[in-house]
Amino acid sequence: MIKIAQLSCGTEYSSVQYEIDKAARSVGASMTYPDVSASDIDAAVERFGFKPQSPQLKLMIARAVQLADRKYDADAVFIATCFRCAEGALVRNELRRFIQDNTKLPVVTYSFTERLKAAQLLTRMEALVTVVTRKELLARERQTGVTVGLDSGSSTTKAVVMIDNVIAGKDWTPSGDVIRSAETVLENALKEAGVLMKDVEAIGTTGYGRYRLGKHYNAKLVQEELTVNSKGAVWLANKQRGEATILDIGGMDNKAITVRDGVPDNFTMGGICAGASGRFLEMVSKRLKIEVTELGSLADKGDWRNAKMNSYCSVFGIQDLVTTLGDGKTFEDVAAAACHSVAEQVYEQQLQEIDVRHPIIQVGGTSLISGLVKAVGEVLGSKPIVPENSQYIGAVGGAILSSGFLEG
Amino acid sequence: MSAERETRLIVISPASEITPDQVSRAIHAMGKNVTVKESCYGAVVEGQRDIVRQVVSEIKSMDPNGVFSKVRAYPAGDPRRCRAHHGTRPGFAQLEQEWNDLWKIQYGLDRADRGEKARKRKTPGKLPVGEFKKICEVKR
Amino acid sequence: MKIFIDPPNSLILFDLVERSGHEPLSTMAAIQEKIDRTEIDMPPMNLSLEDVMLGLKYAGIEVPSGVRGRLAVWGPMIEAAEAAVIMEDCPYSFGCVGCHRANLMVRYMIKRKNIPVLNVNYPNNEDEATDLVVEIREFLEGLK
Repeated sequence: MIKIAQLSCGTEYSSVQYEIDKAARSVGASMTYPDVSASDIDAAVERFGFKPQSPQLKLMIARAVQLADRKYDADAVFIATCFRCAEGALVRNELRRFIQDNTKLPVVTYSFTERLKAAQLLTRMEALVTVVTRKELLARERQTGVTVGLDSGSSTTKAVVMIDNVIAGKDWTPSGDVIRSAETVLENALKEAGVLMKDVEAIGTTGYGRYRLGKHYNAKLVQEELTVNSKGAVWLANKQRGEATILDIGGMDNKAITVRDGVPDNFTMGGICAGASGRFLEMVSKRLKIEVTELGSLADKGDWRNAKMNSYCSVFGIQDLVTTLGDGKTFEDVAAAACHSVAEQVYEQQLQEIDVRHPIIQVGGTSLISGLVKAVGEVLGSKPIVPENSQYIGAVGGAILSSGFLEG
Repeated sequence: MSAERETRLIVISPASEITPDQVSRAIHAMGKNVTVKESCYGAVVEGQRDIVRQVVSEIKSMDPNGVFSKVRAYPAGDPRRCRAHHGTRPGFAQLEQEWNDLWKIQYGLDRADRGEKARKRKTPGKLPVGEFKKICEVKR
Repeated sequence: MKIFIDPPNSLILFDLVERSGHEPLSTMAAIQEKIDRTEIDMPPMNLSLEDVMLGLKYAGIEVPSGVRGRLAVWGPMIEAAEAAVIMEDCPYSFGCVGCHRANLMVRYMIKRKNIPVLNVNYPNNEDEATDLVVEIREFLEGLK
């Protein structure tokens, strides 16, 4: 059983502890609380240096110190506080930093409301468990044999066929029925690669539809997208060694993952609102009556400063868009403002929860929208790397990791 | 368990002569229909509310100012709060702290029984600016 | 009389109030009511989303859920209280009283209720402990 140490405030009184335990159980883990005695607490808070007013936050700090001093054994760390609590948010983030500075344990942070359900935590918990249990597999740097990766995302479904560490075939389609979408892209990818299904030695599935696809294709690897995408991203960007941050602005949620030698050690996954995701850019394109693929080059020509837009909420964002167009702003400026707004939201909501390490590798379908990449670069002060085939990270990661099951 | 269930923590002041072992043996000897679990601070006793209260009251009479008690929400050994499963429960550190200080309360109870009155509470105020200024000037 | 104690999980206050023949209103008893419900199975505390929503009676949606959830447990106790004993400067108050903001709100709600309130300090030495015991005793006897 994988032990996930929980450092939290407010989970029980928010009625979400049950959901946290449920999510952990469903991925073969259990939540544990590092033991502390009353006499440990003052010294721990003093050492940490941040002295919160709330006693439960002090207890969180003391528990973190137990982990840092190896007085308590755990495999991973889950740090959570109530959404909208300023004191909690400060302690949560600084404790995450403290754990990372003092241990090698993978960490995930979360701010919850009373409406948190286990399903929202599943991918995060599963990723923590994967990092612990599949360390060797995740360290894999080469693909071998003939393998397929299938990424069933909320917006698009992607397939990649890899043969001896080379992408031999690939295809994508907007997601419809999980199985049918996958069948279509797989068929085309196989055709391009010039291999038949019977030649395929292993399949890896990831994304929201991973379990259904895994069952349908009898996949050797069925794994959440945080670890799989990380692998695909560092392979595509040829940054398998050292540190990096992977930024994936997805159709439904955004992921920011820090990796060390290709293995994630901290990640955030946002998605309380679609305002800061690729979905907003799709909505903007629709309103401008252009393809989302054209939005990027349009944005490149515009200046976001000329149009006011805030995508914190996609409904208000579209209202801003309508007003801006009504004011006679150009499509170029509006497109640039939409991209800038998404980049800003990602910065405000995701990137505050991790320590950005360079280089930044931007991936996923939205990384093809050049205006968005430019906006991310402007907001972060450093231009992200967008590797070739960046939209195929999940499928590539699935193909690489599934080949790990072929040997031995 | 029925709504009439009561679980009580019996906590012995560190300054008391009574031991947890004595407490649990005394409860067993009462022959009441309660369960007892010895703990490092005293005991956990559980059963029907009126019987538990009777038991607690009898135990307290062994050392009225040295034995303390409060109710506990969870039944003894409840897996939802079991230390073996989840580590210490959230209120444990507080209980530990209060137990540490019970000797002072015991002392206070003894003195109150002897009719001592409370001292006038002094509220520590800040140094008046004028006085502070004088100190600063002297040091200069 | 029903006496609200703050911190509501304090062993010292619970015991001293009970010794004086009054009924301490404690978190432990409130939580027991929750956990003994058989119709809900949400360990560890059996607090449901509906329970947290009850907290909206005391604080708006912009207030963190942990504060509202706590107020949902204590609110009814404060409403039922006929007097209160508040212990200031407690060295630790974890678990149920782990949130400083919720604790501030509880103090305010007690004040607004306009019931007899005694404020005492957590004792640092024997003299202060004597003061605490005597003050609580006198206050509670005066209520009878």
